[in-house]
Amino acid sequence: MGTALFDGTEQLINGLMYGCFYALVGGGFTLLFGVLRRFNLAYGSTIMAGAYAGLIPVYLFKAPVLVLFVTTIVVSVLVGLLVEFCCFRFLRKGHELAPLMTTIGMLIVIDETIVHLTDAVGLKYPAPFGDESLALGPFLIRPDYLAILVVSIACFSAIFWLMHRTRFGRAMRAVAERPEAAQILGVSVRRVNVLTFVLTSAMAGIIGFFAAVSVGSARPEMAAWLTGKGLVVMVLGGLGSFPGAILGGLALGVLEFEAVWFLGSSYRDILAFSILFLILMVRPGGLLGSRPA
Amino acid sequence: MRRPFVFAAATLLAACLLWPGWVGAFQSEGTVRIGGMWPLSGPAAFFGKAAYGLASLAVDEINEAGGLVVEGKRVKLALHAQDEACNAEQGLAVVKRLATVDKVIFSLGPGCSSVAEPVFGTLQKKLGDASDSGLQLLFFTDIATKFGLAKLSPWVFRNTPDEPAMYDFVVKYLKEKHPDLKTVMVSYESDFAHSAATWNLAVKPALERHKHHQIVEVVDWRWLDNEFGAQVTRLRKANADVYFSLTHTPSTCPSMLELKRQRVKPKMVIGITSLAGTEVLQQCPDVAAGIIAPSNFAPITPRAKQVADKAWERYKADSNIHSVPAYENVHLMKGLIEKAAIKNTEDTLLADRRKLRDQLAKVGTFQGVVGKITMRPEDDPVKPRDVDKDMILVQIKAAKWDVFWAPEHLKRN
Amino acid sequence: MEYYIAIASIIGIHAMLGLSVYLVAISGQMSFGQQGFFALGAYLAGMSTALWGLHLLPALALGVVVAAVVGLLVGFPALRVRGLYLAIATFGFGEIVRLAFLNVRYTRRIGDRVVGPNASEGFRHVRYIYDRGITPLEYLGIILLALAVVVVLFFALERSKLGATLRAVEEDEVAASMVGINVTRAKVFGFTAAAGVAGLAGGLFVHYSSYIDHDMVALPLAIASVTYPIFGGLGSFVGPLLGAVVLVGLTESLRALHDAREIIYGALIILTMLFRPRGLVDEALVLRVKGWLRPRAVRRPAPAP
Repeated sequence: MGTALFDGTEQLINGLMYGCFYALVGGGFTLLFGVLRRFNLAYGSTIMAGAYAGLIPVYLFKAPVLVLFVTTIVVSVLVGLLVEFCCFRFLRKGHELAPLMTTIGMLIVIDETIVHLTDAVGLKYPAPFGDESLALGPFLIRPDYLAILVVSIACFSAIFWLMHRTRFGRAMRAVAERPEAAQILGVSVRRVNVLTFVLTSAMAGIIGFFAAVSVGSARPEMAAWLTGKGLVVMVLGGLGSFPGAILGGLALGVLEFEAVWFLGSSYRDILAFSILFLILMVRPGGLLGSRPA
Repeated sequence: MRRPFVFAAATLLAACLLWPGWVGAFQSEGTVRIGGMWPLSGPAAFFGKAAYGLASLAVDEINEAGGLVVEGKRVKLALHAQDEACNAEQGLAVVKRLATVDKVIFSLGPGCSSVAEPVFGTLQKKLGDASDSGLQLLFFTDIATKFGLAKLSPWVFRNTPDEPAMYDFVVKYLKEKHPDLKTVMVSYESDFAHSAATWNLAVKPALERHKHHQIVEVVDWRWLDNEFGAQVTRLRKANADVYFSLTHTPSTCPSMLELKRQRVKPKMVIGITSLAGTEVLQQCPDVAAGIIAPSNFAPITPRAKQVADKAWERYKADSNIHSVPAYENVHLMKGLIEKAAIKNTEDTLLADRRKLRDQLAKVGTFQGVVGKITMRPEDDPVKPRDVDKDMILVQIKAAKWDVFWAPEHLKRN
Repeated sequence: MEYYIAIASIIGIHAMLGLSVYLVAISGQMSFGQQGFFALGAYLAGMSTALWGLHLLPALALGVVVAAVVGLLVGFPALRVRGLYLAIATFGFGEIVRLAFLNVRYTRRIGDRVVGPNASEGFRHVRYIYDRGITPLEYLGIILLALAVVVVLFFALERSKLGATLRAVEEDEVAASMVGINVTRAKVFGFTAAAGVAGLAGGLFVHYSSYIDHDMVALPLAIASVTYPIFGGLGSFVGPLLGAVVLVGLTESLRALHDAREIIYGALIILTMLFRPRGLVDEALVLRVKGWLRPRAVRRPAPAP
């Protein structure tokens, strides 16, 4: 019993930190859905494209990690703008399913381009946070998880500040609540959309960097995995609720880590989806949300 | 609806679909057509493209040396490659294309076992059985290693690694050369049949048979997982001498990284056969350093080195345990086609395939790139139409695969 | 010729899968989990012929019934949520089915073979049609016959009160319920029937391929199943049919492009959706075609697309 409690606690700590990562991914999906009222299924691919592109300066000039990080963010933003242009800009209101399909098409294009260029082989990523776990008392804590914790707290704080203390944030929230009213009041909905894409794509760059660092490589499977987790977190927390995404991410992280330790990887996903199902039955709006779909 | 656009699109679609292989066909145009279905796109593209390159190299060498002699005439080989994209539906369509549109006499591949299963499963099950509507196309497989595939049809022959024998040798080697290493921990991928089968049907029986090692921990994960903390923590607590990491590159790299993080240092790490290629060297050469894998190929003989260099130079194709058989198969089949006395016309295609199949069934022992290969006969109780090959143990050292152990008769060459 | 028969067979099976998503979509919901019912149909029908010696028709029927029953059981709770919630819930269901089959081992020794679902090793030896000498062309006929039956049922549905009910529910659930439509019953019926159709597709597939495993009913199949109706158009059941023909056809016909094949495929999807955001066969086109077919009816100008 003693070891179970100890192990459970260690997995809880790791799960909470990793949950911050999930919260970031879900948060990106949520922000975009909140403002645009549409799902960007190409978000996972945007993250992956940034992660791969970050390696280009490393291969060409043996650039340091900071350059990799910045490149990841820059390329993610560019790809995000491309997604906005190709998949969202020309679709008018009333065509709800079309963006679903265009972003699926974009997902295919980005993923297959990366597979084509790399033959589906993962590419090595550096380990800027060291490659040995830190001993925190009796527990082993991963340094890159600590970094994720710090960076996500910074990101969430920045986003909260942006949303509630700046004019742009007010415009974003206005467009999220009532786009027509916002337009009448002089808010350029298109500009808000584009800038939202820039914001979420910058987040995507950060996410991609950490995803690749924690696995040790950029891999073509990243996009599908991130999309899946992101959507689950977004739904768990409540569509359109950014605090909900944070809560959902943490919950998913803890659930997965505990499930793998006590039940094994075979049952982790079944358990996660079953619990998701149950939560949706009990609280159809997610943990914190109440927005209709 | 923009009608001209639709019309143009429809015409383009139809044209692409009806495009036949405009390569010379059969005796009348001096060609023998052979085929290959590999994953040339998608998650297994690395392996598929490598095999395609090695097969193309063999075809080049044969044609540059004058081709082959059929019905007294010198003819060339033409390789028709199709992409199965590791997808069953595409594989089922593509095999029909190779058989009836490209009209090949035999085919290499498939690369993915999830394609090989439905493709082989829908071949004719009994030779000459008119009541069986399965396809009659000869396969000489280079990559797909899943257990029991060759048993699915008498039209399937494979030149693929014999993992139970290889791991039996590994366990025996450990017992004799490192008797002090007694405890064993294992990891495998529960959703990847090749990995799970390597544990259940090759390594576990070998450990039980040699009665020297004690299995202290077995963990599993999904081959595309991103997080291995829990499983590696279990391995850390087990702290065994030998670690069998029976996992493919996508999960080997992050899990070995996690072992490093948690300071888990087994005295020996044995990998899965498929690891022996450049994929792992690109993804994590440092954390994978020291892993030993059983293989059938390493550039340890002059000929092997020459093949590896030429394949890279001409086709950027990696020579590894899965791709080199494609090269070996093409060279073998060249001789067998000549021996089979085929007529090489469209009307005799099925009869020619049958003749070639029968030749392959009784080929016995033939020369591979590294050593000799023996094709087991059709009535073999264990693995009919599969091969026995020389094996080597290779190890990752300084971001390259080095030879850890090789049989004496190979080293002498 | 056999190559085209193979392509047509896949088109037939995937069209049926697309129709099952369509049936849920016209009551206003997007299900990302029809591949789960496909898997249920495949495994059950495969076990029926390979393990229990049933003939093809009862085997397919069993697959349909089991899939439909599971659809009913899942539909009731699942349809309490809507939109993306339902999409994720159904995708989760699909994954649960897939992972369940990844863990299930139910084999028997028949002759010299081990037959039955065997966890990660898959389920092979479903040789019913090949052992009986049914040619690929004959089996294509069976697939197309099944598809025709489904299409006839859909056609009847579209023109029936039930079809109008489902579309009313899609338009405005609140208004529909105020008119006296039992919204939940309509949605659950649609979901159950769709599950049965997907189960039929799965049963036909496993006999065509002789093999099924968990990898074949994963995310790529989920995405494909949803793409057929959205790309093909939700205006009529012709939409998913056309979607399957075009998309499967494209996958094969673009082979000449080698590596760039999938990239062009994705780009074509994007372009098509930009030009026709409601799919190829959208409501506007359906109205226009109906106008042609009924020249004596009052001609109303077709609404702007």
